[in-house]
Amino acid sequence: MNGTFRTCPTTGLRVHSQADALIKANAVVATVTLLIGGIAALLVLLTRWQAVHLLGDQMFYRMLTVHGMNMLIFFILFFEMAVLYFASAVLLNSRVATPKLAWLGFVLMVVGAALVEWMMFAGKADVLFTSYVPLKADPLFYLGIILFAVGAIFVVSIFFATLVIAKREKTYTGSVPLVTFGAATAAIIAVITLGHGAGIYIPTFLWSLDLMNVDPQVYRLVWWGLGHASQQINVAAMVSIWYLLGALTIGSVVLNEKVSRSAFALYVLFISMASAHHLLVDPGFGPTWKVWNTSYAMYLAVLASMIHGFTVPAGLEVGQRLRGYTKGLFEWLKRAPWGDPGFSALVLSVIIFGFIGGITGVTFGTEQINIIAHNTLRIPGHFHATVVGGTALAFMGVTYYVLPLIFRKQVAFWPLAKIQPYIFAVGMLIFSTAMTFAGTFGVPRRHYDITFAGAPFDVQFNPSVDLVMTIMAIGGLIAAVGGAIYILVTVWSVFLGRPMPQEA
Amino acid sequence: MGMYGVPQGVSNPPQPVPQGTELEEKGFGGQAPGTMVLVLVFLLAFVVYYFVNWKLLSVLWRIG
Amino acid sequence: MHTGVESPQGVWWKPAHRAERRWVVIAFVWCMVLFAMMPIWHLKGGQNPSGIRAKVEPTAFMARVQEFINAYQVGEEAGIPIVAPPPGSDIYLLAMQYQWRPILRLQKDVEYTLHLSSLDVNHGFSVSPINVNFQVIPGYDYGLRVTPTAVGDFRIICNEFCGIGHHLMLGKVIVEEQGGAQ
Repeated sequence: MNGTFRTCPTTGLRVHSQADALIKANAVVATVTLLIGGIAALLVLLTRWQAVHLLGDQMFYRMLTVHGMNMLIFFILFFEMAVLYFASAVLLNSRVATPKLAWLGFVLMVVGAALVEWMMFAGKADVLFTSYVPLKADPLFYLGIILFAVGAIFVVSIFFATLVIAKREKTYTGSVPLVTFGAATAAIIAVITLGHGAGIYIPTFLWSLDLMNVDPQVYRLVWWGLGHASQQINVAAMVSIWYLLGALTIGSVVLNEKVSRSAFALYVLFISMASAHHLLVDPGFGPTWKVWNTSYAMYLAVLASMIHGFTVPAGLEVGQRLRGYTKGLFEWLKRAPWGDPGFSALVLSVIIFGFIGGITGVTFGTEQINIIAHNTLRIPGHFHATVVGGTALAFMGVTYYVLPLIFRKQVAFWPLAKIQPYIFAVGMLIFSTAMTFAGTFGVPRRHYDITFAGAPFDVQFNPSVDLVMTIMAIGGLIAAVGGAIYILVTVWSVFLGRPMPQEA
Repeated sequence: MGMYGVPQGVSNPPQPVPQGTELEEKGFGGQAPGTMVLVLVFLLAFVVYYFVNWKLLSVLWRIG
Repeated sequence: MHTGVESPQGVWWKPAHRAERRWVVIAFVWCMVLFAMMPIWHLKGGQNPSGIRAKVEPTAFMARVQEFINAYQVGEEAGIPIVAPPPGSDIYLLAMQYQWRPILRLQKDVEYTLHLSSLDVNHGFSVSPINVNFQVIPGYDYGLRVTPTAVGDFRIICNEFCGIGHHLMLGKVIVEEQGGAQ
């Protein structure tokens, strides 16, 4: 299948028509799953806000499953597939390798996702996103996930194949750009992730058909090999997008390729084992295993994040200083384009990911401190800061460039678009912070009713819990508004929007 | 119908880094003082939050 | 200098500048502190999730729990037996859909070995309001050596989703002064 090339008027890159098409298809499906997951988020939020307590118990756990699956797996991975096509074919002026296989991968991912959605909405998979054995879902639930993963493996393989083709056909000179390198580390981690995924979902699928046993502790061990590694794909992709947005918005520079690339490499080397921090208060492992696997391994990955936490802002600063913004310590930041939603999303993503997400995550991942964090609201407080305030926000920011550059559409509701990252970020900041506070008082996660109506005894949480949960709800609602604006702007721009002026 | 726009990175892409400036020739040579301040603030927040949590842990029942 | 979307030409493996190197050293030292705190706390600290761990058949564990209840039951509340075991002994708590059994009556400043396991699915042992949390897994006996350090009437919340009755699952632990009345 051959495509044609066009030349991007902004960057001068030669863009393959199949790359355009695949990016668009994956981005559109990502947005659909974001919408489903977002509606589920709102329903869950309005239920955990006890003053409203919207859903019934069964529907709450069901929507919680829908929310987790759509956000953590479908939305983020479909978006990342788009990122992979961009980082390979587009950034390297190359054709996409074997487009037919790429489309097959896309179809498999969509079919798998649709199967999982059907199972969840039909009430045949009320097991939450983690589906911990012995909780059992319909076999088609596990099969859908397996199909989705197979499709993703196809796409990841095509990413690597495209890198090889681009090198061979000399569509670029020198080394691949840093953004492509970062995307490649995300892709390598994706292979590790999907390997764990196959390792756990195939036996679990067979177990759901009563064909074999699966030990519950072993399930948690292997599942989190998939579960945590998948989050590291998100981190590597997010950091790559940080470098991309820096380049597109203000021409931020790479201080030192060796340092940044080594930090990406550390993610690959040390991430699979670090999944142990999900198992720190599990009975199946001893302290030596726990301390080793959560620390030596994770802390080099933590070092990597702290390195990027320096090089990304420093790249912005040096880029600005080289262009004349040299006054004092912070003129480079004050006179940056804060009205560019790509830029504001970048900076807010760095701040929320680092300060709230990173600090809480490393702290809770300490063997002993986990005792006062495990399965409380501190945990979702942490990961909403990293995945939502960090990765999703960065993805939203880059969308404002994907719309004109790939979809060739102007951004609709431009004044709203400009403030969208701020609304979403403020909402998420309040939400995550309040959530972690509530968790510090022992409020459980994944729990329908902390008034314990109908339970044999009463529970008296710290009196401030009610206030904190209300603040959390307000933060969540603000974030939901931000998310809704994002979806409105992107859907309108793509389908009803004004085209970019034609290229000469 | 809503107003349309594009980010400034598309309508007015950043100029390439001026070549041959003193800064460019020396390499950036540590010229990111603002960032250094920011990361040190981050580290301080990290250290404080981390040790506060050890303190919270220490007042619990003894568990081993 | 170039951006993250431009291809570096030639060799990019170059020495880092002073500010970068300084930050990497600082960050690395902090990472070593993060690592060291864990073994240090094992040696000097009072809270570690080590426990005495073993595999156990769920029905065998339930039988052991029943034996324990039979030996030391002193009452009942909301249909759940209250048990006052001897100080320093092995005590048992069963998680099941959807209750914690039994209710434990313990003494302050006494060490017990608390055996946690589940009859059916994963549960989350969460003592409120002190916020102590452990995973409870069928097939595994988590024997945590615990010493309650304050008197009180504590609750055990389940914080791992275990089915439709998950939020109704609530247990109790009572801690009294040593030599307290029955």
